[in-house]
Amino acid sequence: MANVVGTPLKRKEDPRLLTGNGRFSDDIQLPGMLHAAILRSPHAHAHIKKINAEAALKLPQVVAVYTGKDLEGKIGPIPSSWLVPDCNLKEAPQYPLAIDRVRYVGDGVALVIAEDRYAVRDALDLIDVEYEALPAAVRQKEAMQEGAPLVHDDIEHNIALHWKAGEIADEVLESAEVVVRESFYVQRVFPSPIETRAAIGEYNPGSGELTLWCTSQNPHIHRMVLSGVLGISEAKLRVIAPDMGGGFGGKIGVYPDEALIGYAARDLGRPVKWIEQRSEHFTASNAGRDEVIDVELYGQRDGALTAIRVKNTANLGAYLSTMGPGVATIDFGLMITGAYDIPHASCETFGVYTNTTPTDAYRGAGKPEATYQIERIIDLYAREIGMDPVELRRKNFAPKEAFPYTNAQGLIYDSGDYEKPLQKALEIVNYEQLRQEQEEMRKQGKLIGVGISTYVELCGFGPSKVAGAIGFQGGVWENSTVRVHPSGKVTVYSGTSPHGQGHATTFGQIVADKLGIPMDDIELVFSDTRAISMSWGTYGSRSTPVGGAAVAIAADRVVEKAKKIAAHELEAAADDIIFESGIFQVKGVPGQQRTFQEIAKAANMAWNLPEGMEPSLEAQSFFDPENFVYPFGTHIVVVEVDKETGEIQMKRYVCVDDVGRVINPLTAEGQVHGGIAQGVGQALWEGAVYSSEGQLLSGTLMDYTLPKARFFPPIESSFTETPSPVNPLGAKGVGETGTTASIPAVMNAVMDALKPYGVKDIDMPLTPEKVWRVIQEGEGN
Amino acid sequence: MNIEYSYSFKGVSRELLWKTLQNKEVLQRALPGCQSFEEAGENVFNAELGLNIGPIKGRFTGVVRQVDMQEPEAYRLLLEGKGKPGEIDADAKMSLEESDEGTLLTCCAEVKVTGILASMGQRVMGGVAKVILGQFFKDIQKETKEIAKL
Repeated sequence: MANVVGTPLKRKEDPRLLTGNGRFSDDIQLPGMLHAAILRSPHAHAHIKKINAEAALKLPQVVAVYTGKDLEGKIGPIPSSWLVPDCNLKEAPQYPLAIDRVRYVGDGVALVIAEDRYAVRDALDLIDVEYEALPAAVRQKEAMQEGAPLVHDDIEHNIALHWKAGEIADEVLESAEVVVRESFYVQRVFPSPIETRAAIGEYNPGSGELTLWCTSQNPHIHRMVLSGVLGISEAKLRVIAPDMGGGFGGKIGVYPDEALIGYAARDLGRPVKWIEQRSEHFTASNAGRDEVIDVELYGQRDGALTAIRVKNTANLGAYLSTMGPGVATIDFGLMITGAYDIPHASCETFGVYTNTTPTDAYRGAGKPEATYQIERIIDLYAREIGMDPVELRRKNFAPKEAFPYTNAQGLIYDSGDYEKPLQKALEIVNYEQLRQEQEEMRKQGKLIGVGISTYVELCGFGPSKVAGAIGFQGGVWENSTVRVHPSGKVTVYSGTSPHGQGHATTFGQIVADKLGIPMDDIELVFSDTRAISMSWGTYGSRSTPVGGAAVAIAADRVVEKAKKIAAHELEAAADDIIFESGIFQVKGVPGQQRTFQEIAKAANMAWNLPEGMEPSLEAQSFFDPENFVYPFGTHIVVVEVDKETGEIQMKRYVCVDDVGRVINPLTAEGQVHGGIAQGVGQALWEGAVYSSEGQLLSGTLMDYTLPKARFFPPIESSFTETPSPVNPLGAKGVGETGTTASIPAVMNAVMDALKPYGVKDIDMPLTPEKVWRVIQEGEGN
Repeated sequence: MNIEYSYSFKGVSRELLWKTLQNKEVLQRALPGCQSFEEAGENVFNAELGLNIGPIKGRFTGVVRQVDMQEPEAYRLLLEGKGKPGEIDADAKMSLEESDEGTLLTCCAEVKVTGILASMGQRVMGGVAKVILGQFFKDIQKETKEIAKL
């Protein structure tokens, strides 16, 4: 089989998953398995005066209760993995269970282990904890003020980090004819995967090996971090991520919970399972965003933009999560100019501790926030100077000829042609006509809005030397092994692992093309630290551009060796061997050929190999890309706002994304759709609400609105292809583009609809009540 | 959150209502789901209540204090309770006013909750509190007849 790359093959994994044959964490049953539950703090901030577990321990099925004090000196604190340099980063230790003070609702207080799942929950209710409540710091700007309660006593003003990038000379700012200022709040949201988190530990006292199954987007990072936390050799700790129902960044983090389960399994010598409850998930799993972004955009009356100055105040929660410190700094601050050639930029970020659940990367991680502020402020700028928002964007795009383009903050965008998807999207919506229709509808009193977002995103992490320079505690290369069995069937080992993306399909397509064999002959192995030598995980839309590239390179190496064997058998020079559609042929000698399967057998039998060649047909690659990748595109949304109720209806959603070479248009489109759902969710429906005491008020799916399919019009999705020069596939990331692009696109559309009222901003999510109030005010009611 | 609730005790004098509300046995009978009610000091009681708040069921143990007693016009009821669904901290100002019908009792409470009570219960708490208070005052109304006989 050849040329399957670029075709919309159906997902190979779906029949298995749709027929109930997946193997998720909760499907794992081990002999003698115990069940764990974690007692969590109901207070945002309190001293723990006393914990009395006597009654719980009296339940016959309860095996053990551990408190923070019991574990002191036995499990280390869970470190953050992104120690951003030059920002006076202050990391407060996060112990697996709170020792004498709880710092957020959901902070772990005690670990209970029992023979079954019912008993363990009953036991939780019998543990009596005496708290002395303390005042809580909840919102970031308030938490920084003098006299605010301190989350960690030794961290002044709750400031975890103060980061700066870029400087703008006063003359540049003073010479601007126009300045547009706005403060945006990109609210806290929950990644909300359909499967909550889970961990299962099994210890073998004979070998001293600990196996941990857990919902991890990056099993090798879990292994690396937890081996330190638990004091066990990496060679004796095996981490496996089973099938997973989504992650969206919420399963990047190495959490206290996984360390606890590993510890308990080893301590008790029996397997221990922990499955997070949905209600528990809201406070115990890392949230996303929560950034207050103050923006100033400078430029001339003719629309030439000259400078952008941004201040981001980010709520990091009570502790630094695995990626937390990097999101509002590196990921955000270096991308604030977006797709525009704005010559001057500066960003200042404060990361603030509060008495809330920690925040971490969430689909897009910093880039949706960066895109939000630039795409929103550019619309306001267009409004200010009376220019069409499309024209202002075009005027300021980094031009096609400038690629690789260096932005004002020093990032080098690999490839781009921003005009191309914009033009295509404008044609699909018929922009001119749309604007005319909007005018007519306005005259009839209807509120129609058109919103545009022309985004660019940094993803595909990345060169490891850059990761080191920005303080990431890991590399960001990927590895793959392609192993050809004697029959010619192939096992492919991949470091990046799927949790819904469809790697088995897309990576299979890459290998099928390279080796000229059917998809059915290819099996993918992921997510097991014992099978895969090393990996840095699935996040930042890096699987295809980095992991997929590693797969392609390993497959190329297999072909290289196979050609030598074929040449030997066919008595020709290796350079004269042509390999096409699974057949090795001697150039210019028809009929002189070997199939891939014949060579696979020859390589494995090793009866007749070229002099000095090692047996077998297997190759490994370790790929470290020279740069990140920068997908881009245009999303256009048409909305109608109901004047009477404030409800927003999306009439059309058009997106043209350029993610480089598309491996599978069907799965790529699926990624775009899912991303859009989560982005629009942020704009219109989702939002974590904390009371001033730090109680989470939106802690159920009754109070926290997730997007549903029926809320959307058909998404009109298409692609343009501008290959990336930084990996052999020419591919860029696609997983986060939809989220990054859609939040400002929808917001711009609603603001455009409400333009007759002079409204410039409403805090997300745009609930009908908020919109209705603005309309009432605008109507003078 | 703030909860305000008024109840008109028809044909009950302010003095009788005060006396009823201060009777320990009456309170034990009328408090919803009251499983125990022990005097722990002057105007201090240890109580155990079983409450249903919307989707949340739970047993709460805590301390009830009566302070700022201004017989027969007003007093403050302080409640600190703790149960599996979370903790409750309430400060209720009770005022008794004479009216044409009898006595109008107004309860103005500031309630703080934690845990599931906050994340799940908050939305329904106002409504549920009114139902519970309504039931409580209805029972008190009945009890006034017994107290009047004393």
